[in-house]
Amino acid sequence: MSIKILHKGLADTLQDDGRYGFQHLGIQPNGCMDKLSATLANYILQNDLNAPVIELHFPSSKIQFLEDHIICISGGNFVPVINEKSVALNKPIYVQKNDVLSMLQPINGRTAYIAFKSTINEPLWLHSIAYNGKKLEKDQEITISNKITDLKSTMDGLLNPLQDQTNEQVNENIFNNNAPIRILPGPAWQDLNNHSITCILNDSYSVTTQANRMGFHLSGPSLSLNNPNSYLSSAVTRGTLQLLPSGDLIVLMADHQTIGGYANLGQIILVDLPRFAQMKTNQAFKFCLTNLTTAQTLYKEMYASFKY
Amino acid sequence: MKNKVHQWDVYTLGDHAIVFALEPIINVNILQKIKQLNAFIYTKKIDGILDVIPSYHTLTIVYDILKFVSAAEDATHQLLLLSNSIINEFESIELKQDLSISNTYQVPVCYDAAFALDIQNISEQKNISIQEIIDIHCGKIYDVYSIGFLPGFTYMGIVDEKIKIDRHHKPRNVVPAGSIGIAGLQTGIYPSDSPGGWQIIGKTPFKIFDPNPNKLSKFKVGDQVQFYPISKTEFDQINEYT
Repeated sequence: MSIKILHKGLADTLQDDGRYGFQHLGIQPNGCMDKLSATLANYILQNDLNAPVIELHFPSSKIQFLEDHIICISGGNFVPVINEKSVALNKPIYVQKNDVLSMLQPINGRTAYIAFKSTINEPLWLHSIAYNGKKLEKDQEITISNKITDLKSTMDGLLNPLQDQTNEQVNENIFNNNAPIRILPGPAWQDLNNHSITCILNDSYSVTTQANRMGFHLSGPSLSLNNPNSYLSSAVTRGTLQLLPSGDLIVLMADHQTIGGYANLGQIILVDLPRFAQMKTNQAFKFCLTNLTTAQTLYKEMYASFKY
Repeated sequence: MKNKVHQWDVYTLGDHAIVFALEPIINVNILQKIKQLNAFIYTKKIDGILDVIPSYHTLTIVYDILKFVSAAEDATHQLLLLSNSIINEFESIELKQDLSISNTYQVPVCYDAAFALDIQNISEQKNISIQEIIDIHCGKIYDVYSIGFLPGFTYMGIVDEKIKIDRHHKPRNVVPAGSIGIAGLQTGIYPSDSPGGWQIIGKTPFKIFDPNPNKLSKFKVGDQVQFYPISKTEFDQINEYT
């Protein structure tokens, strides 16, 4: 009852909603980079929305199914093929024993997700399947508990047109949306000089090749503080925008450190973080400010759309 | 949202965290208040809290938007009310009882040249003998101000001015697990092999972080640590890494 990694990908991992409750001991939350796409894949399969998934980066692992399964692939379009035949994103897919899934080309996005109708059943560490940097290795077998007796009728039951609307909304939001990335100002925002505030709110930034699950190093106008200041380390979150002494910006992502001592300029709101997490290298974007009530209202609306 | 209640600055960090901050200095009285507020917030059992993270002069609550201040039409206003009530209640009970439990640990350190990668340089730069560095480093009980950077990385202070030294300009690629370092007025322990810029003066045979869920970090913020010197032979006998 498992799947097998035939070729190792660049940085593929098992992920879920991540782990909270241990940051006071320096233990990172981890979890999916693009939680929205992972949630969508589970939603399409009518799973628990936080069920474990495989997170793929490109080049991706090549995966063989050792028995029949129902899966859903979401997130970035890496041109998924099963036995070299192309398959759809964001749809339930019936895969058969010995089928091989590979990803051909990163058309958009940075991470793709594979959810299973049955459960990925690997050991948890502190309530989460995500384990800092533990990549899927060649020849590794991942246990899938297959509790579904009749896959064919289960498959028929998953074709629910209501989900198409949510599916479309999510993908429009993440992949067809050039609106600025919204931030809430952080404690060091007030220390930015006027020129820097003008830059960050008007100029374009992009994600450099120095980007991984810990953080994305940005390229764009250099920023500076009024009084170059040192800060005592304090907690950071996913989406924290740190200003390095060099004037460059780094956005902290899912595997971020729990505390940071660089100037905390602000945080990307959770609703915009999946879209940011899927930004291609060198893709230009802008930042804009928003307010807390808007950010939380949008977040609640987004999750309200995942109704069965 | 920004708020001032008593001597506390309260502000939101993004859309799913809130920070309670005191004066930004490394100070043991401030640490005590942070530690007390940390314990107090646990007793409140507020729904939707994911993490409570103390660090130096701040305490940060990370929360689940869907559960914390739920049904709030105006999140800003709700958070303002909540932070006011937390701080007002905390300040009113604070002097009556000590809510937090802290431990004091005696931690053995081998200052042998094999581990103390930078002690010779510090000795030359600060014009004090290696023995003096060891005596000074072991001569104080340190407070744990923060844990982070890596799971279990322990930030302690405050070291004597005589052994104060800046981080390396260029970090080492690998600092071995258990290494004891100095950065400015702080001393710290590396819980695992990692890149790092602290000036290394010795190594403890204690494992300070263990992924076993019943163990995890040996220390927590607010604990106290006193180092004592051991020989290379004693180090090998205690060594928890083997």
